[in-house]
Amino acid sequence: MNSPIELIASPDAVVTDLRVNSGEEAIRALHQRLRAATPEVRDADQFMHDLLERAALSSVCIADDVALPHARTTAVGRIVLAVARTATPVLFDAEHPRVRLVFLIGTPKAAVSEYLQTVAALSRMLKNATTRAALLGAPTEAEFRAVLSRAQLR
Amino acid sequence: MNVVTDPAKLLLERMLRLLRWRVWVQEKLQPSEWQITLLWAGFAGFLGALSSLVFQALAEGAHQLLTGSNEGVVESMKQLPWWAVLALPAMGGLLAGIVLMLGKHLTKGQSSTDYMEAISIGSGHVPIRASLVKSTAALFSIGSGGSIGREGPMVQLAAVMASFIGRWRQFTPPQLRLMVACGAAAGIASAYNAPIAGSFFVAEIILGTIAMESLGPLAVSAVVAAMTVRVLTSEAQLYKVPEFRLSSPLEMPAYIALGVIAGILAPWFLRSLKRAEAIFIATKLPLVARMTLGGLIVGALAIQVPEVCGNGYSVVVTILKGQVLWTTLLLFVACKWLATASSFGSGAPGGVFTPSLFMGAGAGFLFGQAVHAIWPGGAVDPRAFALVGMGAFLSAVSHAPVMAVIMLFEMTLSYDIILPLMLCSVVAYYTAKGLEGRSLYSEVLKKKAAEVSSDASFGRGHVAELMKGKPPTLSRNAHFAEIARMFLATRVNNLYVTDEDERFLGAVSLHDIKPYLGEPELAELVIANDILREEFPRVGPESTLSEALGRFLNFEAERLPVVDPSGKLLGSLSKGDLLLALVEMRKKPLVV
Repeated sequence: MNSPIELIASPDAVVTDLRVNSGEEAIRALHQRLRAATPEVRDADQFMHDLLERAALSSVCIADDVALPHARTTAVGRIVLAVARTATPVLFDAEHPRVRLVFLIGTPKAAVSEYLQTVAALSRMLKNATTRAALLGAPTEAEFRAVLSRAQLR
Repeated sequence: MNVVTDPAKLLLERMLRLLRWRVWVQEKLQPSEWQITLLWAGFAGFLGALSSLVFQALAEGAHQLLTGSNEGVVESMKQLPWWAVLALPAMGGLLAGIVLMLGKHLTKGQSSTDYMEAISIGSGHVPIRASLVKSTAALFSIGSGGSIGREGPMVQLAAVMASFIGRWRQFTPPQLRLMVACGAAAGIASAYNAPIAGSFFVAEIILGTIAMESLGPLAVSAVVAAMTVRVLTSEAQLYKVPEFRLSSPLEMPAYIALGVIAGILAPWFLRSLKRAEAIFIATKLPLVARMTLGGLIVGALAIQVPEVCGNGYSVVVTILKGQVLWTTLLLFVACKWLATASSFGSGAPGGVFTPSLFMGAGAGFLFGQAVHAIWPGGAVDPRAFALVGMGAFLSAVSHAPVMAVIMLFEMTLSYDIILPLMLCSVVAYYTAKGLEGRSLYSEVLKKKAAEVSSDASFGRGHVAELMKGKPPTLSRNAHFAEIARMFLATRVNNLYVTDEDERFLGAVSLHDIKPYLGEPELAELVIANDILREEFPRVGPESTLSEALGRFLNFEAERLPVVDPSGKLLGSLSKGDLLLALVEMRKKPLVV
């Protein structure tokens, strides 16, 4: 299994101009991408169900413009990650109406510490204003990916 | 990122910092539940010593009140006119009887006050009111000169204190029993200024095991108790004795013979006490009258021989100094025997431990004198025989030779005598055991044996008996802040997560979140549901102890959740309790 750092440096799927109108649409869209990108999503319906259930339980945003929808689920074989930058700000919940960056994570049930590592690494990365600006400003998907991998390998 | 000003965030950061500290301390010091138990054992020792001192002061107060003298029991009896000597113990018996009778109404329905029973067969619950009533009654029988030991009630009170602490802290039964045992050890340690003997007495006789799981707390409790007594009073050792030594190996045969004699006399002594009790009960008199009568007999004996009064301590000192003629001593021993039988038989609350020491000292000295008269080389110093006789008699009465040897050594701090003392105590033990299967404490232990065989569920042991109810729980959407707060408040390493119907979902482990305590950003995102470990092992209430042990062996945790078949969380089981219970089960009942 990839380490969390490697995974963020090189996510399973990346979208740089996701056009959606709500948090749920964003989750569905990224779920779709992940499913296409990796066979490790073994039960797509279950995964979707777990993602939405978790989002309903409590907010998944860690900053005004960053959301981390995630689920610990039996539906994935390893940690999977899809990243999106939305074309326009998206309403995730009442307190987070202007989300631009979405990191969708799926974790196997037992991988509690890998999950925490991933989330911690993401939040550390996004704390850095330069990285954030670079992610929001990256003109192409390749550049976007390059920012991610630079941020992790630094 | 930016300066945090939100008070909720500040609070969270502070909490996380505290939690980081807690984890740090935990990793450096690793305070397990054992160490916590040791702390409480020390506290029990402290309280036990205090209660012993208070009881002693009260007993002296009662004595002063009744006799108007603040000297020792024997001394003040010598100063009183004959009619007062006759009446005083009877009055003490009357008062003690009245207290017991009135107390009966207060303590209706309370279980046995015996701390030994509480430790060895009961739940560790020593009833407070009943014990206080008994101790108050003991104050009168002791203060009035009854031939009974004051140490028994002191030990009892110390055990009550410990039981009280344990119940206040909501200890589980095995822990509570251990706590009461600690109290008893503290009581003995402070009554006789003998911390080693205190811990070994309880381990050897009552717990029946010297496994470190239980001996450790006992030792801590006894040491704290002895320290407390030494700081608050100026006592060093109980009996100041001249220097004795084994003059030549030729003395050994005489010591062996003394062991045999003590081994024969001790069961007689015990049986006579029991017989006296039976005779008193057969009179069909009410308790108050019986106790008055018992006191009257002691008083009648005391007119001629005031030495029979009290626990016999001062007379033992006289014997050990060799300041008594053998003919006089013979009279003392005979009268003391009768007096102790009267006091004990009439139901006066108090102990027979110290009277046993008296009997042993008397028998030893008389025997030493006899040998000395016939063959001076065989018993050079009869006083040494008195000392060894005490140990031998104690060993034979209690069936606890190890404790007897240590106790004698601690009470006298005379190491020179240790060789004959050990030999003689062991010989006395085997002789007594061969003659009579039961000891001073066998009634309780016999009950225990019956209990163990009749109550199969306890014998086999189930998780439900050891379970501690109402563990702190989290809901699955509890935020990081709440999780951190609860970890700080509860000192556990795993918090249980339940749903609305109290069904167990899994556990959040401090170990998992430990590396992320420095990152408050995570705190906003992570909820219990994200980090709960569903595969956390659990035990059923009906699981056997060995099954539960198996779960612990495969998993590093101090506690495991107890979950019923429907998935409901009932409580938690501590590894410490489990090990303690297994130690308890391993030991066989001493009497069959």
